[in-house]
Parts: sequence; structure tokens; C-alpha cells
Amino acid sequence: MDFKTLFETKEFIILDGAMGTLIQKSGASYSHSPETLNITAPELITSFHREYIAAGSDIVYTNTFGANSYKLEGSGYTVGEIIGAGVRNARAAAEGTDALVALDIGPIGMLLEPAGSLSFEQAYGYFKEQIEAGSQADVIVLETMTDLYELKAAVLAAKENSDKPILATMTFERSGRTFTGVSPAAAALTLTGLGVSALGVNCSLGPDELEPVVSEMSQYTGLPLIVKANAGLPDPNSNEYDILPDRFAECVLGLLKYGVKFVGGCCGTTPEYIGEIKASLGGRSFTPAEIKRGTSVCSASTAVEISGPRIIGERINPTGKKLFRQALVNNDIDYILSQALSQINAGAQILDVNVGHPEIDEKAMMTRVIKAIQAVCDAPLQIDSTKPDVLEAGLRCYNGKPIVNSVNGEEKSLASVLPLVKKYGASVIGLTLDENGIPKTAEGRFEIAKRIVSRAEQLGIDRKDVYIDCLTLTVSAEQDACAQTLKALHRVKTELGCKTCLGVSNISFGLPNRELVNSTFLTMALEEGLDLPIINPNAEAMTGAVRAYRVLAGIDKNSAEFISCYNEASTAPAPSRSAESSEPDIFSAVYSGLKNEGASATERLLQSTDPMKIVNEMLIPALDRVGEDFEKNKIFLPQLIQSANTAQACFDVIKAHLGKTGGGSVSKGKIIMATVKGDIHDIGKNIVKTLLDNYGYTVVDLGKDVDPQLIVDTAVEQNITMVGLSALMTTTLKSMEETIRLIRASKELQNPDGSSKVTVFVGGAVLTKDYAMKIGADYYCRDAKESVDTAKLVFG
Amino acid sequence: MIALTSLNRNEAKRYLGGSGIELDEKMLTLFESCEKEVLAAAKPRYLYKIIDLPNDELTAGEDIKNHLSGCAKAALICATLGADVDRMIRVSQISDMSRAVVLDSFASVAIEQVCREADRILAKKYPEYYFTFRYSPGYGDYPIELQKTFLSVLDAPRKIGLGANENYMLIPTKSVTAIAGMSKTPVERKKRGCAVCDMSDRCKYRMNGEHCGF
Repeated sequence: MDFKTLFETKEFIILDGAMGTLIQKSGASYSHSPETLNITAPELITSFHREYIAAGSDIVYTNTFGANSYKLEGSGYTVGEIIGAGVRNARAAAEGTDALVALDIGPIGMLLEPAGSLSFEQAYGYFKEQIEAGSQADVIVLETMTDLYELKAAVLAAKENSDKPILATMTFERSGRTFTGVSPAAAALTLTGLGVSALGVNCSLGPDELEPVVSEMSQYTGLPLIVKANAGLPDPNSNEYDILPDRFAECVLGLLKYGVKFVGGCCGTTPEYIGEIKASLGGRSFTPAEIKRGTSVCSASTAVEISGPRIIGERINPTGKKLFRQALVNNDIDYILSQALSQINAGAQILDVNVGHPEIDEKAMMTRVIKAIQAVCDAPLQIDSTKPDVLEAGLRCYNGKPIVNSVNGEEKSLASVLPLVKKYGASVIGLTLDENGIPKTAEGRFEIAKRIVSRAEQLGIDRKDVYIDCLTLTVSAEQDACAQTLKALHRVKTELGCKTCLGVSNISFGLPNRELVNSTFLTMALEEGLDLPIINPNAEAMTGAVRAYRVLAGIDKNSAEFISCYNEASTAPAPSRSAESSEPDIFSAVYSGLKNEGASATERLLQSTDPMKIVNEMLIPALDRVGEDFEKNKIFLPQLIQSANTAQACFDVIKAHLGKTGGGSVSKGKIIMATVKGDIHDIGKNIVKTLLDNYGYTVVDLGKDVDPQLIVDTAVEQNITMVGLSALMTTTLKSMEETIRLIRASKELQNPDGSSKVTVFVGGAVLTKDYAMKIGADYYCRDAKESVDTAKLVFG
Repeated sequence: MIALTSLNRNEAKRYLGGSGIELDEKMLTLFESCEKEVLAAAKPRYLYKIIDLPNDELTAGEDIKNHLSGCAKAALICATLGADVDRMIRVSQISDMSRAVVLDSFASVAIEQVCREADRILAKKYPEYYFTFRYSPGYGDYPIELQKTFLSVLDAPRKIGLGANENYMLIPTKSVTAIAGMSKTPVERKKRGCAVCDMSDRCKYRMNGEHCGF
């Protein structure tokens, strides 16, 4: 029997119950981990598999849940030995029966980025080793996962290193989410896209509590579901579970209506439970669940169904944006993140991410930016590049089901982009243009759309996941173009049944009052069936048009979303009048941390006062006073930061003014900041960074867990001679030492006499001044204020 | 289940080095909203396991031997606020750093309150025992490497989503692992305080003439 035959001939596929429970009951002793029993007591493990097969299991899971090289460290065995033996034990039990052997793989045991420090690529490496070691199994099982990102690494490792079917299950809490916040919808969408054979839930809860999770999954996938629940809850004293076999089977039957085809048990279940399931399934037939939701995309936590228009934010894109381009060149990820957050606050539901710029490595930047954005945003992302290798880099590290922007009707594009869309399970934007350019007529564009859809379907991509862009042309250049775009859009929507998208703002190029033209065009397009307007959500007229359309088209039920958006806005406190009337001077605005007041005071003063005079006679003295009071314990950290933020707002006004009048730069010097390799607690470093920024220094922030070589390379490339390092733990001080050693050893960072050009300042909870000197730092700074003092000392 | 209903504001202020400072209206508003936000994001979870002493696996160094001397049993405890709190602090660092530091300190307050609640639950459950205070890997000469053992004995990654990275940092970061000795005769609680703390020469609270509260 092979998996395909089993799958096609059986109404239901019965999995096994718990291995751990049987090991525990047998009283078998083992050192290190239960997986070592595969080698020290193979007969015992084989007998457990036999019990499950005798009870009715069609597939048994090998005793290899924790058999990865991280967890096996110190066990005296390799992954190959434990998994090899595990598969042989299960195989021995299956001999002479129709039962299949599943290679069982659980979580690695270390948390992945962004919460942890294990990278996606490293996680892939752990899983790959296990999958290669289990090549003799029939099926690959990935279970008890709580992090969708880790599970994605495992699925990719399985897909790329074997041709076996994959069963993937995650573990949910009573809240309906996993520990890391993954929703059942996101799990279903992402895993379906990645091409597993079945997906579902295991562990944590009893079958009586899983209905909400299983029901939600079934709405988003056409794949059969897996349920392998615990036998209820364990009693903390006796460790006995509270759901008995007959009740367990009864609860499982209640879940079959959601398209459950694979049934087994997790913690606390025994062959008796499996026997009971087998008996109660007799005579029943599998009913696939109906997918209730339309095409959807997701992050790990949030699914966005494309039901009615959804806003895609277009601002993460360097085209025509000087500050953005500068941020890319300076690796200023925080700037990009602030763009992401502000678009979401303004109403974007999906964010387009484009980091194409000739001066940078677009592929590396795409990976970096996607990882950073998904660490702080719940909105699904749209990966935007003209280069297939950049798209793939983004698709690989994205946690969820993204949109690819874009494919077009050109053969080269179809052949290179669509296979990526299929492999990584994304949705894709199809541009109605090809090697001959953009067809003038609606018919021409419709034909290309048809071609794209048919090619996608040939590859197994569902047409509902192809979003067609009929392309907005400039109406001032060609007035009929607007009508052609709308006509094509309408046909695509009604005749092809695809979702549609449009970049809107092109329409008004060359006209005055562009926003009026844009929002009118947007409304017209929405009426023709536009689903995904790609716009600047910060433009209130645009976002407002979409919101109002959702009300008028009856999509926003009871106008609930609309009311919540605008009621909040109208009840928000108006800018304080008293502040305006008293008009605080710069000094008191900075001292009290009043950002807006500081900025407007600066603007007023600039009309009559020399900018450098404002800086030297007002801003700097105010900051000095704040610093003094901080040292004297008159004010504390949040106040210091607010004051510094206010000063920065004032500096920004001055910078903008100098930009206009062609004056010089006000940056006082460039500093690299990093939290050292292995260290992930970076709030201290970020406080220092904020203050240095505020005091007028340019900070190149390399983030946390930073490779020493990257620090050296950045210093060399950007000719930076001051580096700040932070470490929180005694265990990571050695990385700090190593980083300093590498900086000192770099020939490019040395003066002709061999001395180092770089000033290194260090800080962190466990550091002392003595230790800082011992590891070769120039300055020890006990808090953010001292870091600023040090910068002043160094740069003058 | 442990549910937090309020957080100690003075403690949060102290973590920020602001014990002696009176909050002005602006700071008060910030503190109030941060307290609410932490309470909303925190999903406190804890685990414990009573073990018999001596236990070689969990004993290393002199300090822990002293700490547990005279105890026949010990409670292994771990607790976490969950991943949402970390995420909230991460997001706030992008948009508003002063808010981030206040959220961070309230989260530290919250995890300590969860631990104290767990202490109370244990004391109630084992009324015949006296407990020493909680002692964690990384204190004194008690090796931080034992973090991994604590987590695996408690099955913390699977049961409450608490793990550690390769440098033994707990993740989610607002989390605690600890051991408390249990004895049927009263135990001395003498070992708390700066005199026995190996951070005493570099402690930011001491520099300000304050105390960490431990």
C-alpha cells in the first residue's frame, strides 16, 4: 500500500495515538530523551507500533518527535542513528500489514526570529537533516507546531529534499490561537498554498474543545483535515487524562462534518482510543467541507479575505521618494517600518513592499525588510519586484500567504514568475501587458488577462488567486484611456471571474488637483468591480472613498467599520488651544517634552533668527539642562526621551529650513549601533539610538544579534569611526569582545601607525567599566545619557 | 490561571529609575495607558513541578546548595506573559520610545506579580511547607546554562510556549524560571539583598541610592 492508494480507497485514515503515554506507562527508563529508546529498546517501541496497528491505525508515527540535532545534543547519538532506528522499528511493526510509516517531526525546541534568534534558514537546516535521515518512511508528519514560520521552514525542507506526502498539524490554545499568535485561518491558507497533503490540529486540547479551530480551518481550505487531539486535560497529580475512549470517539465524530479525514490521538490516548475510533467510524463516509471563504491572503496572525475592496498601501517603494531611497542606502530599516505602521494606521489592509534601487543588493534587502515588517505588522504583504530572484527571496522568508507583484503576459515573465507563485502558494498580480507593450484597447488587455489566467491554471494555480491589473494610463495624455481601463476591468471581473487591482494615482499625472481626479477615478473603478486599489492610504480622500464605497455597496454591514473609523477621529481631542495661546518657547517645549509645540516654536523663530543661533543658544542649552536634571534624578528616562524627541522635531524643522535656503548639514557625526551576536534584547540599544538621533548624530542601526563582520564591513564601507555595542547577558559579553577584537584587527580601520581609527563605546546591564576596558572598549557608558556625552567628547 | 487586574505603578517607576520623582500630568497619562496596554496584552501562564532533593541535575555551584540547604523538596517554577507583550514593546519602539520604556517596565512589573501569585498558589497548596525565595539560573554562581534543564523538566515550550535561545535568554523575554526550596521547618530568608548579589558593584538602582526590590 502506498499513501496515494490509501488516500483514495479509504473513507477515513486512522492515525495512531500517543507514543509518550505508552512509554510512560511501560515504566521504561531512558537517559536524555525518549527517542533514545529506538536504539536501547527497539522491541519495546516496535511493540507499541504493533498495538496501534492492531487497534486499527493506518499510519503509525515513528518515535522521532524530538530527534533533531539541537535536542539530541549530549544524547550520544546522531540524528541519523535515532531516526534510522525509529523508522526501522515502525517498519518492523508494519511488516505484513497495510499500515504506513510516517516520519514524525516536532518543533526544533528553539524559537525562531523575530522572537527568538534561530533564523529561518537555520531552522530549514535542522529539518533537512531529519528529512534526509528518514528517507525510508512513507509519509512526513510535521506536528505540534506553534510557529507557522517554523512549520513553513519544515514544509519547504520536506518538499525540497523528498517527494513524500506531508501531513502538517499545529497546536492551538483555548484562545483559538497558537502560542505565537497564529490563527487557524492563516495556518490553513499558508499550508494549503505550500502544497501539503492534509493539515489540521494536534495536542493541547481535547476533541471537545477543538470545534472552533477545525471549523475555521475548513472555511479556508479544500484539503482534508487532520484531528489528533489530547484525551482532554491531564490531572496535575495523577497525570491521568479526563476524556475516556468512548467519549473521545464521540467528540471526534462531531468534527467529521468539517472535512476531517485523518483521525488519531495525541497525549493521553492509547490503542484503546484508536480501537474506539475505528469502531465508531465504521460505515460512515468522508464528506469534504465546502470552502466558504473567497480568495484570501494572510500574515501568520491575520487573514484578509478579498471580499469587496481592500486597500493595498503603496508607500514602501523608493520610486520618486528621496528619503526612502536614502533609508535604503543607509540600511535604515526603522524608517521603512515607520512607513509600514503609518499606512496601517491610515487604513491599509495589505502592504506592497518594493525595495528596488540600483545602489543596493535588492535581494538581501527584500529578505531583511520582509522579516522586519512581519515582526511588527499583522497586515499581509505584497512582494513587489521586477526580478524573479528577488521575488523568490521574499516569498521564501515570508510568514503567511503573500501576493506577488507581478507577472505579465510576456513569455519570459510567465515562465519565471508563475512557478514561484505555485511553489510558495501565493496569490499573484497579473499585469495586462506583454512584449508588445500595453494594448490600447480593453479587448487587447482582456486577451492578455485570459492568457495569464490560463497559464496559471496549467500550473495548478487557482484563478481566484490571480488578481488582474488592467493598468491605469494618464488621462491628460490620452483621454479615452480611462474608459478602456474600466471596460477591461469590468470584463475581467465578470467574464474571467478574477479579482482585480489597479494602481490608481497614475491617472492624474500632469493635471492640477490630482487628488480629486484620483478619488473620482477610484470611485468609478470600484463601481466597475475593482477589488484591490493600490493607493497611498495616508491620502484621506482615497481611503475615505474606499470606506464610503463599502458602505454604499452594502459590504460594510450596518456601516460598522465606517462609523468606527470616523467616530473615533471626530472624538479625538482637538489640538490643545491653551498650548497655542501660551506659545511655549523652545527651551520650555524641549524641557517638558512637547514635540508639536517645540516644532512650531522653531518655525516661528526661524522667520527672525539665524538657525545656528537657535541650535546653539536654545536647543543645546535645553538639552544640557535636561541631561543635568536626569543625572540629578529630577527627571527620569521617559522624560529624557520625550525631551530628546522634541529637540529632534526642532532639529528637523531647522534641517528642512536649511535645505530650502541651501545651508549646510547639521549632522554632527556618524555612529554605528548594534546589539552583539547572540543577544536579542535590544531595547537598551534602541534607547541610546533614539537619544543620539535626537542630539543630531546620524546613527546607522544594524539591529540585534549582529554578526561582528557586518559591523566591520559597515564601518569600512561608510567610513564610520565610532561604534556603540550593547550586550545584556554575561553569555553574550564574549561576542562583544570578539566584535571589538575584529574591529581592532581590521587593517582598513587602522591608522598608518597601526592604531585603531575606531572609537568603541559599550553598555549593557551586566557590563562594568573594568570589564569594558579589559575587552578593549574605549568608553563604558552606563546609560543613554552617558552615550551622548561620549559622542560629544569624540566628535567635539 | 493567573489573571492580573492592576500593576504596581511605583514599581514600574522604580524600574525606570524614577522612584523619587512625582509624575506630572503628562507622565501620569502615559503610565495609565501603558498599564492598561500591558494588562490587555499579557497572557500570564505558569507551570510548576515539585521535585525531591537532592537533585543532581539541578544542582551546580555553591550558592544553590546553600540556598536549598535543609530543604527536602523544591518547587521548579516558570512563568511568562506570552509573545504578545514582546511584540507590543517591539512595535512601540518604532513609533514612540518613551512609551516603549514605560511599557517595558510595566511588563517587568507584571511578570514579577505573576510569580508572586504563583508563590501564593504554591503556599496554599502545600501549607505544611515553608518556602525559600525563588532562585533563578544566572543568580550568583548558579549556571545560566541550567535554563535549558528547567525548561525541559517543566515541558515549558510545549505547555506554555516558553523557550530559550542558544545564549539561554528566555523567550518570550518577559518570563521567569526559578527554584524555591521547600522545608517543613522554617527556612531563613537571609540571603536576599545587595550583600549577596553579584551585580552589586554595577547595579543601576544602587547607583541611584535605590534597591531593585529583590
